[in-house]
Amino acid sequence: MNNSFLRVSIWVYLVIFFLYLLGPLVIMSVTAFNSSAFPRMTPWECLTFQWFGELFQDQRILNGIKNSLIIGAGTVVLSVAMGLAGALMLTQIWPKLRATYYTIIIAPILIPGVVLGISTLVFWDRINRMLGLGADSVLSNGIFLTVIGQSTFIASYCMLVLVARLQRYDIALTEAALDLGASHAQAFRKILLPFMRPAIASAAVLAFLASFENYNTTTFTFGGYPTLTIELAQKVRYGITPSISALAFIIVALTVFFALLNEAKLKRQELVAAARKQATVEELAGKIKLPSFFAGNMAAVLLVVFAVATITVVGTATAYDPGQCIANVKEQKQLEAEQRIQELRKQREEQRLRREEERKQRFEGVFEPGDLQPGSTEEEAEPDTGTNNSGFGNVFAPNALGGDSDEGEAEPETPPAGNGGFGGAFDPNSLQSDD
Amino acid sequence: MSAGVGVDLENLWIRFGDFVAVRDANVNINGGDFFSFLGPSGCGKTTILRAVSGFLDPSEGRVLIGGNDMQGIGPNKRPTALIFQNLALFPLMKVWENITFSMEIKGASAAQRRKRADELLDMIALPGQGDKLPSELSGGQRQRVAIARALCAEPDVLLLDEPLSALDLKLRQHMRTELREIQQRVGITFIYITHDQGEALTMSDNIAVMRAGVIDQIADGKTIYNDPNTAFAASFVGENNVFRGKVKQVMGNEAMIATNRSGDLVARISTANQGKMKEGDDAMMFIRPEAFAIAPDGATGDHFVTARVNHEEFEGNVFNIFTEGEGGKEIKVSIPNHGQSFQDHTGQNITLEYETHNAVLVPAGELAAE
Amino acid sequence: MPKFLKEFLNRNGTGMGLAILGLVLFWTIGLIILPQLSMLDFSFRPNLPPPEIGGPKDVYTLENYKYLIYGPEGGSQDYNAVDLRVFFRTLLAAVCVTIFNLILCYPIAYYLGQSKGNHIRIFAIMLIIPYWINEILRAFALRIIFGETGVLNTLFMGLGIWDTPFDFIRNDIALYAGLGYAYILLMIFPMYNVIESLDKNQIEAARDLGAPWWRIHWRVVIPYAKPGISSGCTMVFMLSAGALAAPQILGGPSSLWFTQLIYQQFNDNNDWPQGAAYAIVLLVTCILFVLAMMRVFKVNMGDIGK
Repeated sequence: MNNSFLRVSIWVYLVIFFLYLLGPLVIMSVTAFNSSAFPRMTPWECLTFQWFGELFQDQRILNGIKNSLIIGAGTVVLSVAMGLAGALMLTQIWPKLRATYYTIIIAPILIPGVVLGISTLVFWDRINRMLGLGADSVLSNGIFLTVIGQSTFIASYCMLVLVARLQRYDIALTEAALDLGASHAQAFRKILLPFMRPAIASAAVLAFLASFENYNTTTFTFGGYPTLTIELAQKVRYGITPSISALAFIIVALTVFFALLNEAKLKRQELVAAARKQATVEELAGKIKLPSFFAGNMAAVLLVVFAVATITVVGTATAYDPGQCIANVKEQKQLEAEQRIQELRKQREEQRLRREEERKQRFEGVFEPGDLQPGSTEEEAEPDTGTNNSGFGNVFAPNALGGDSDEGEAEPETPPAGNGGFGGAFDPNSLQSDD
Repeated sequence: MSAGVGVDLENLWIRFGDFVAVRDANVNINGGDFFSFLGPSGCGKTTILRAVSGFLDPSEGRVLIGGNDMQGIGPNKRPTALIFQNLALFPLMKVWENITFSMEIKGASAAQRRKRADELLDMIALPGQGDKLPSELSGGQRQRVAIARALCAEPDVLLLDEPLSALDLKLRQHMRTELREIQQRVGITFIYITHDQGEALTMSDNIAVMRAGVIDQIADGKTIYNDPNTAFAASFVGENNVFRGKVKQVMGNEAMIATNRSGDLVARISTANQGKMKEGDDAMMFIRPEAFAIAPDGATGDHFVTARVNHEEFEGNVFNIFTEGEGGKEIKVSIPNHGQSFQDHTGQNITLEYETHNAVLVPAGELAAE
Repeated sequence: MPKFLKEFLNRNGTGMGLAILGLVLFWTIGLIILPQLSMLDFSFRPNLPPPEIGGPKDVYTLENYKYLIYGPEGGSQDYNAVDLRVFFRTLLAAVCVTIFNLILCYPIAYYLGQSKGNHIRIFAIMLIIPYWINEILRAFALRIIFGETGVLNTLFMGLGIWDTPFDFIRNDIALYAGLGYAYILLMIFPMYNVIESLDKNQIEAARDLGAPWWRIHWRVVIPYAKPGISSGCTMVFMLSAGALAAPQILGGPSSLWFTQLIYQQFNDNNDWPQGAAYAIVLLVTCILFVLAMMRVFKVNMGDIGK
């Protein structure tokens, strides 16, 4: 009994854990398909693909992707090379130096990314000045600095991945190659490199992903070349839209796709290896064919399901037109808005009456304190002209007002009318206002 | 013997820090010889091999191959091929690619390489296995692939670093014959490293016995077995019984020694030590188990030993008697089985007889560990 | 050690050896050591416009460090209360995040390390996938969830548990959840690696001797997993103390993270030496704290990073 209780609690824990881990990603992905202008799952308005369209028209995002790819490629090359050299050195360094050396090359993993970014910036700026180069030299170029800064710690990750494989390498293999007449370079290229290839591939993928998602270091070094992550951070800080969700969905989908692909490939290799062990020479030639790709390979099956789903979604997206639904929702919202405005008006009326009674003063000119917030929409400032229904709908789509999400300051004092629609509670600007 | 390329070590010293791995080695290996370095692990024999193949620089002295000084010439430039203890087959290459790796380095075409690989695979009796991976072969097959790979490089000298140690006993014995056959067929110099005296004795033209960095004796197998230079060589190669004592009197090539237990015994001074041993020296006398015979009770003299029998065992071809010896070590006596009846002597004293020329006297020295 | 060098070049070949040596030296000295020293040096200098750098005014000063403690010269307060509070709050919060992550991740690391089967590989993929998603997007996802009209508030208000939206962001709950979320993998992985190598028989033996499950963990598993635990804790602590994205996106308006102060010094105030000094303070304090913790829990330096 105790045992089954333990088992149940383990599964409950696992469910909660993976909800925490994957739930946010799922919810974020789903919001990419909701027509609500603020990324959210509830209330569900209409299924739409418009945010993807917006995403692909955003020049800053596209430019960010381009920069990220360039920097990622540079970082992969530099950090895999340094990581491999570092790993090779670790296996043959003088024993007395090994601990110190290991501490040095592992340290960048623990040093905060902010510190790495700053030190890179400061150091190369100094080098640049010492060489008497101008502010536009290669050494102060955003791409160069970012690649250098990121590689500092990404190379450590690569080194760890590579050294794990290198430890299983038999140095006698290199010696055998040399003994058979190969030069050191040939032995490296023909023996060690093929042996290390899986680890190098892992390290390269790891390096690229780490570079692609890096923010802390890059934010100090990017100069004139903001990466995708930098652009995203700017966007998220200054107002969020579902097109970010759309981008996130694409990244999640790609990640899942490649993870499954990789898993399916690994599984297949295992099956092939197992088959080879049993097969005789004659059988080997024609045996492993496509159908067995799926045999006992869960990941491969999932992969196919995933691909079919993608095709379906894309197919739907081209054929589907949410216009009618969006129009309905808009109408609905307008009705709601109207209703609220009526209520609001009633409230205001009551307030005014009350105030009139309290202070027999000028009744029309008194504004609520909240109404004077900078950037508040006109409709809000002048609720009495509330017949302007179409404009009021914007309150529910705060970002439609422009990138600077000026609704930010509106929260607590605003009348309840704004409550439902405001994303302003997230208030990215208030961060800045403390600066 | 065909005239192959010889290898000479001249005053070779190899040090790692303070540790001396090889001390003043002087060896001349004739071209076309099957030459073994025999010694316990850690004696420096692998170090010598690495110096010959070029992975190690000698601290002092020279390595000559075919009369040419190899100083400063890397392993990839030397006319040697090494078969590693763990074989070091390239795990990601197919068998035929492994075998012809040296040709790939020289830029040979795939067709040429395939052809040569097939020839070599036939030679090592693995026809049609070229497309397998090394991991798909058995231990003995891998062994042969490693040999083929080394031979494909057409070396003048083939170096073998205990290549049989990973195989089981049956296969090991089979491979001994096979290696010897291959060596005689290709006619190049083989330098073989082993700690197994059986391997060394059965295959080699000449053997160097090594102990802690020092070469004790270089000779053919028979000489080493019958006429060892040192106590170590006598005790390491084959089974031997040791009697310690002091030289009492030197009589030409023979000497009388005074032992602690068995009285004065006479022995032949080993060839290398003749003329060097004098009265009063500490000495060791070695007598092989099979060199004893049981003497009639009460026989005494300088070639009789009396001892108490601890236990006996019957091994088929021989009958072994273990008697009390010196320092806790037993004296082993093997009587050949000719179908005669054996009497159980356990607990009794017996008298053993030997012929003087079978008792070898060397200066006292370090014995091989059991 | 010219002998060492010669052997190294012999073993790797001159060309390969020089390439390896060059890359390693570039990395260790050019990218790791010199930039850190350079930043240290920089933090002791006054903030000067570029033409005056290297000039007579460019002298060493403790000004930047004094600023953190005493605030601007002639300021109204004796101490730089704002920055100091942010500093200590950051450290404390990082400790909390670390402990939270340890408690959350230990069971899963143990489960993954001691179970066999295909589903473990699927779990592993599920663990790794979020880690491949952009840090910013992960924070963004949490913001969607913790928002005033986010999933949680809708859910709880729908269930009637509370009726006005709860401000997760202002209360820093979103921030802690986000920081914890960001570094889950870094906590799980080192622990998993160690626990995986724990011989199942040890646990069986302990169970056989009648130990209850919590005692098995306390006496057998945790002592064995200590290197992994300390490795994970060190990484999570260092990275959350040095986090920038999560506080910027998930932090409430009133709660600054120390890295944000550094960021402001650099990007808004354009006072690089001041920022460098703050960065040095952060780095040194974190290292000292980790070393102190390692001493308290008797962990070796060599175990970290395995």
